[in-house]
Amino acid sequence: MRGYLSNIREAVTTVADGLAVTFSHLVRKPCTVQYPDRIPRPVQQTLPPRYRGILDVDMEICTGCLACERACPINCIAIEIAKDKETKTTLISRFDIDIAKCMYCGLCTQPCPTGAIHHTTEFEGACESIGGLVRRFVSEPVVAYKPKKGPEPDARVAEVLERGKKYLDDFAKPASAQPAASTGEAAG
Amino acid sequence: MKVLAQALLGEGGLLGSLPRDLAAALLMFAVGGIVVFGFVLLVAGVTSWVERRVWARIQSRVGPNRVGPQGVLQWLADGVKNLLKEDVVPAAADRFLFLLAPYVVVAGFTASFVAIPFAASFIVADLDIGILYITAVTSLVVAGILMAGWASNNKWSLLGGMRSAAQIVSYEVPAALSIFPVVLMAGTLSMQGIIAGQGAAPWNWYLFNNPFSFLAFFTFFIAALAEGNRTPFDLPEAETELVAGYCTEYSGMRALLFYLAEWGNLYVIGALVTTLFLGGWQVPRITENALLLSLLQFLVFFAKSYFFVFVAMWIRATLPRIRVDQLMVVCWKYLVPIAFFNVAGTALWLALVGLPGQSALASGARWVMTGIGFLLLVVFARRVVYHIRRARPELYFSPVI
Amino acid sequence: MGLEGIEVEVERGGGLNTEPMILNMGPQHPSTHGVLRFLVKADGEVIRAVVPDVGYLHRSIEKIAEKVGYHGFMPYTDRVDYLAAMFCNQGWAMACEKAAGIEVPKRAEYLRVIAAEFNRIASHLISVGSMAMDIGANTPFTHALREREKINDLLEALCGARLTYNYMCIGGVTWDMPPGFAERALDFIERFEPLIDEFNDLISYNKIYVERLAGVAAASAEDAINYNLVGPNLRGSGVRFDLRRDLPYSVYPELEFDIPVGRGEVGTVGDCFDRYIVRVLEMKESCRILRQCFAQIPDGPVLAKVPRKFKPPAGEVYVRVESARGDMGWYLVSDGSEMPYRVKIRTGSFTAMAMIDKLSRGIMIADLVAVIASLDVIAPEVDR
Repeated sequence: MRGYLSNIREAVTTVADGLAVTFSHLVRKPCTVQYPDRIPRPVQQTLPPRYRGILDVDMEICTGCLACERACPINCIAIEIAKDKETKTTLISRFDIDIAKCMYCGLCTQPCPTGAIHHTTEFEGACESIGGLVRRFVSEPVVAYKPKKGPEPDARVAEVLERGKKYLDDFAKPASAQPAASTGEAAG
Repeated sequence: MKVLAQALLGEGGLLGSLPRDLAAALLMFAVGGIVVFGFVLLVAGVTSWVERRVWARIQSRVGPNRVGPQGVLQWLADGVKNLLKEDVVPAAADRFLFLLAPYVVVAGFTASFVAIPFAASFIVADLDIGILYITAVTSLVVAGILMAGWASNNKWSLLGGMRSAAQIVSYEVPAALSIFPVVLMAGTLSMQGIIAGQGAAPWNWYLFNNPFSFLAFFTFFIAALAEGNRTPFDLPEAETELVAGYCTEYSGMRALLFYLAEWGNLYVIGALVTTLFLGGWQVPRITENALLLSLLQFLVFFAKSYFFVFVAMWIRATLPRIRVDQLMVVCWKYLVPIAFFNVAGTALWLALVGLPGQSALASGARWVMTGIGFLLLVVFARRVVYHIRRARPELYFSPVI
Repeated sequence: MGLEGIEVEVERGGGLNTEPMILNMGPQHPSTHGVLRFLVKADGEVIRAVVPDVGYLHRSIEKIAEKVGYHGFMPYTDRVDYLAAMFCNQGWAMACEKAAGIEVPKRAEYLRVIAAEFNRIASHLISVGSMAMDIGANTPFTHALREREKINDLLEALCGARLTYNYMCIGGVTWDMPPGFAERALDFIERFEPLIDEFNDLISYNKIYVERLAGVAAASAEDAINYNLVGPNLRGSGVRFDLRRDLPYSVYPELEFDIPVGRGEVGTVGDCFDRYIVRVLEMKESCRILRQCFAQIPDGPVLAKVPRKFKPPAGEVYVRVESARGDMGWYLVSDGSEMPYRVKIRTGSFTAMAMIDKLSRGIMIADLVAVIASLDVIAPEVDR
């Protein structure tokens, strides 16, 4: 008999407590973001700078070293270069990234010497044909960038180089090269 | 109108050969049926929208808010979509029963709308056996669900149909037993008679009349939820176990009819609880205008019954499902003995103490019960505030998002 | 997979001919966690046997390792168990570091533990939320997911992705904490701990929920050990074994935390409720660990010097990591070249599948769903 009554008592108290929790949720703000039209700012602007979205390549500062193509575990980057012996320049005739195959791991962005290949905050890559998912960054052959010893003379390229350098600075440096970093604020 | 009436009832008209009153009666039934069914569809459809919005807010989401202002026309869009879907009848299914089942279910609950008292002068049929009629007619859905489960030729559907039949038939007993205290107090089975025995103010409701009818309210509500296949008793349509139970094989409008029946049944449950325990359409006599008074009574009745629809949705969002054997234990070992206890207790109370006005104890007891009810509400509100304080969320009171 | 081995018996006697029915909880079912198939031999509602059919999500990840090399395999480890991806990253990184004898800087170890414990909370949130949903309550699932979204936002700020993190690399981690991360994380933990209590008020001790789970499919401690259960499943059966304390790695020896075990508080020790409540309590312990990590983390570099062409000496290593789903083993055989010779991943969910048949004799179909959910079986971990 005592078990019977305690069963009823437990049932009533726990159910009532659960009902109190759900009732308290009726006056809370929902956490839904009503994308894409009823939001205060576009989502791309709210994403953190490290967000690994669709890849983009700044051909102005690409050195044609093929480090990204080698690093990619899934072989979604296709680059074609031709080394010109007389002018000592490299001509890049093809730079394709298949974003359908890409798994957004970021392994290609780590070995890039100038930060030309980088992730953006773009994530809306849907298109109507699967051929449209291959991003081609070279329309006509372009001369690869040669890193200068001093500051870069061309102002436009210098700006792009600055962005690339800032992107690369965010990555952790190997132990022997890195000075001691402080907790949080100064890092990155 | 006159031309139509002439065409149908006149000398050479369609129904002209039938005896006059029979033809007029048939016409009245047809029009009444269409009006009632239209009202039922509207209520069921809007209830589906309310349920989705309430559910969503409880789950920190928004719910449908695009189709029409705040998503009010979502159910219309769903209805149109379902009408345009392909009507799939499984090849190995029992075709006649398969097609008939949804209509039996819908007929079962629609027929109960004719006896629901919306206002003093606003009831389709004030039957002498009102409450008995409603209890009987809502049991028709068992036949429909069994038909659906069997005719689908699907083991999962069969399981769902069997479970549902067992559940509804079992919970008829405590539901009916919980109606007895009210009938004893009112002295009649007629719906309007039960309401006439109550008053407008809370202490004149049968809910707070005596402790036994207070308990009867809870047993009736729980049993009615089980009758309507609502969580925590929605095992027949448990999505995570039987895909969709007895309505797995149904597609398009037929499937929607099952869900329509469920939402509409919710409203019937609310209406029943309001009539039996909360005083129905009773309002204080604040105006002499009959039409205005009727309108006020209708609004009060609708508000009260919709509050219980909201409570049922709220319970659905909160509680998990009870397993089928535990369902039977709850019914036969808990609800039925308590319901019997209530009947006996009410009978003794009426014999020894009587109705309010017949003895001082009777008149005083309702004030005590009202006080207890109010106290429980205060305790609950304090618990809600405690949860809000502990979680420290961002508050948003408006239902408009 | 055919039905060999499942004979349909016709029971005679009692005057009524009955036969058990074979139900197919197929690869597409709302409650199997991922693409799993179960053949259920049921006598009405009571189950006689359950035969799991695995392999629907096999992607040859272990074979792919032999083709992409050590650095390139790290993103693939995320996909072995995508709900607890940080642990898979950590396991692979530790295996490679042990093979080549690389020492990871202290700050990197702390960052690894921070990322891993956040991931443990996120994984347990999904586990308890979806278990509540399988039992029928839809609200706790959305509440749990709402909190998990906040953790996802934190980890997104840390490493740029929300599910397949690829945060750790051989020798350390790829990024240090961004500015303001520690404050955001501690603020989240402070807001999150009362919500675990709210979750318990809402569903964990709810009478209906307790009645559904108490005493169902109890696995004794001996059975749990014999059947190779690990992680919260093992601790739910009362065995107080946790790799973080018994075979410690990384910086766990410097952190203080308890190991919750199932005590049979509502039913038998080792029933579904115990496995469930162990996960809820582990979330609280993870909050404790995270607070200590943020307080103790030292300054310093976060990446050791590792050559781009990573060539560990020939040999084999076996590394164990306490993942959200238990003891995850990483076995690496290297032959001195740039590509690993063989990688083998031992996951807790695969062995838990074997226990399902033993646990489900005599329970009802509705309970089978509870059992699968309480064992926290994840299809990609089962099939790899």
